[in-house]
Amino acid sequence: MANVRLLDIKKSFTTLQVLHGISLDIQSGEFLSLLGASGCGKTTLLRIVAGLESVSSGGVQIDGRDVTNLPPEKRDIAMMFQSYALLPHLSVYENVRFPLRMRHIGSREEQDAQVRAALETVQLGHLAERRPRQLSGGQQQRVALARAIVSKPKVLLLDEPLSNLDARLREDMQVELIEIHKRLGLTTLFVTHDQEEALSLSDRIVLLNAGRVEQQGTPDDIYARPATGFASNFIGSANLVPTQIIDTPTGPAGKLADGQLLPLPASETTRGEATLALRQEDIALAAEGTLKADLRTRVFLGARNRYVLSLAGTTIRALTANDVLIEDGAPVRISIAPERIRVIRG
Amino acid sequence: MVRAVPTPLRILAIVFVILTGLILLAPLVVVVGVSVSENQFIAFPPQGFSFKWYEKVLASPEYLSAGATSLQIALLVTLSATIIGGAAAIALHRRQLPFSDILATFFLSPLVLPTIIYAIGMLMFWSAAFGPVSTATLWIGHTVIALPYVVRTTLAVLAESDPFLEEAARTMGAGRIQRLFHVVVPQCIPGLAAGAFFAFNISFDEAVLSLFLRKPGLTTLPVQIYGQLEFSPDPSVAAVSSIMIALTIVLIVIIDRMLGLSRFAST
Repeated sequence: MANVRLLDIKKSFTTLQVLHGISLDIQSGEFLSLLGASGCGKTTLLRIVAGLESVSSGGVQIDGRDVTNLPPEKRDIAMMFQSYALLPHLSVYENVRFPLRMRHIGSREEQDAQVRAALETVQLGHLAERRPRQLSGGQQQRVALARAIVSKPKVLLLDEPLSNLDARLREDMQVELIEIHKRLGLTTLFVTHDQEEALSLSDRIVLLNAGRVEQQGTPDDIYARPATGFASNFIGSANLVPTQIIDTPTGPAGKLADGQLLPLPASETTRGEATLALRQEDIALAAEGTLKADLRTRVFLGARNRYVLSLAGTTIRALTANDVLIEDGAPVRISIAPERIRVIRG
Repeated sequence: MVRAVPTPLRILAIVFVILTGLILLAPLVVVVGVSVSENQFIAFPPQGFSFKWYEKVLASPEYLSAGATSLQIALLVTLSATIIGGAAAIALHRRQLPFSDILATFFLSPLVLPTIIYAIGMLMFWSAAFGPVSTATLWIGHTVIALPYVVRTTLAVLAESDPFLEEAARTMGAGRIQRLFHVVVPQCIPGLAAGAFFAFNISFDEAVLSLFLRKPGLTTLPVQIYGQLEFSPDPSVAAVSSIMIALTIVLIVIIDRMLGLSRFAST
């Protein structure tokens, strides 16, 4: 276990700058997610921590030691790749033993005990003699995880490890990752583009946008209080509606493009031009309600319905229980509890 | 939309396939047939049945010594071509060398260069630089001809491999040498084995270069067969050829059982 410090990291590939000065302190034992869309620089940042990519400027410290110019093989890390990168010519057992062999950790007996323990952790003890190609995708993924934790690295790096699994397996693996992290307490850096994954796994989320930190905080915090339009759109896929905030006799309200008024909490201090972030699951559809909208499409999601609506000329999405049924093209009324609305300045 | 192949075309295709098979296999059938003939001359269909020509071959010092020379050179060539070709393929695959495309073409050039031109050049060059030809001359010459096959088969396997394996090995603490022997070379093994098989066969079968570089004590089996055909043709030639065919089939079966040759059939 160790803490990781990233000091003003900048990275350019030829003329393209992908990281614009990122500083982060990752606590010992923390599970930190780097969340962002593809091309935001999250994988590059992870590869810099691994040592697979050099920095253009800035520094990396692991456990207080400067490792900026140390190659990956000399850093005490483990990394799990999106493709798993299992060695096809070695058995599951030998794949998991590989880091111990390469780093000369322990005697043959100690290595054996560690490999067996790691395989038990991912419940693959019975498949030790198989070759990777004889395993399913989910099993290969567990082997890759066992191989990453077997040497008890100071830092565990995970590069979208769940993205190649189907939805069901992914949920199982999320639970497993949480439990393994709780048990081993490894400092973990997790790269993902999936906000749900980041919300459910992390101690802290760092939201990256175009090579910069957009916002960071605990999952609760970042979900409840997105600081920017990008953050509220990316986390919880909130609807962004332009507005003009004015005072009304009943308190502040957002005036929409078509003149409709959306009541805001009395504590809201912003006035003038702003953007309202309305989370999909906070929008209630009913015959009665404060705002008028036009219904465009209903998407049936099984447990829920998603309605695509037009509110004052802006397309918004609302998630409802699956028993809420409204005809296409019908006028609907929507309401949102004032305290659930996020106001973003500007 | 793919349209169904019209019946006449389909029949034509089947006839073509059968003809191709016949043309490929007929010579082998003739050679094996002649080898078990009782007749003193090379004639087909064979008359009678006997293994006497096999006995003659196995009792002939010329054939045995030519066979030993061929085997020795083929084994040396297999070793050198596999090591050099494998190393070249690994280097080319990484594309870190300057002019790596030009180098790749250069390594494949013995495939298109007429062997006879190369043989004349090799003979003149060797005589001028080192004097009389030796086993080493033939070894080097055959290695050059066999190299493209090893390079190609190894490159084919590397192209299919996971490009992140080496990076993954780095994150597991493997240094440069460890990565080479624990990650890169093991991945190449199917390609190296197939390339080694080709190298062995090419050297063992090669006649043009061996003919130009022949001298007493440096006569390979194909050169011996050629000489025999020229001066005293008898079915012993067919018997030797049948033995070579059998050896090749055995090799193919072994390699295929171990690694599967099918994936190289298309490259």
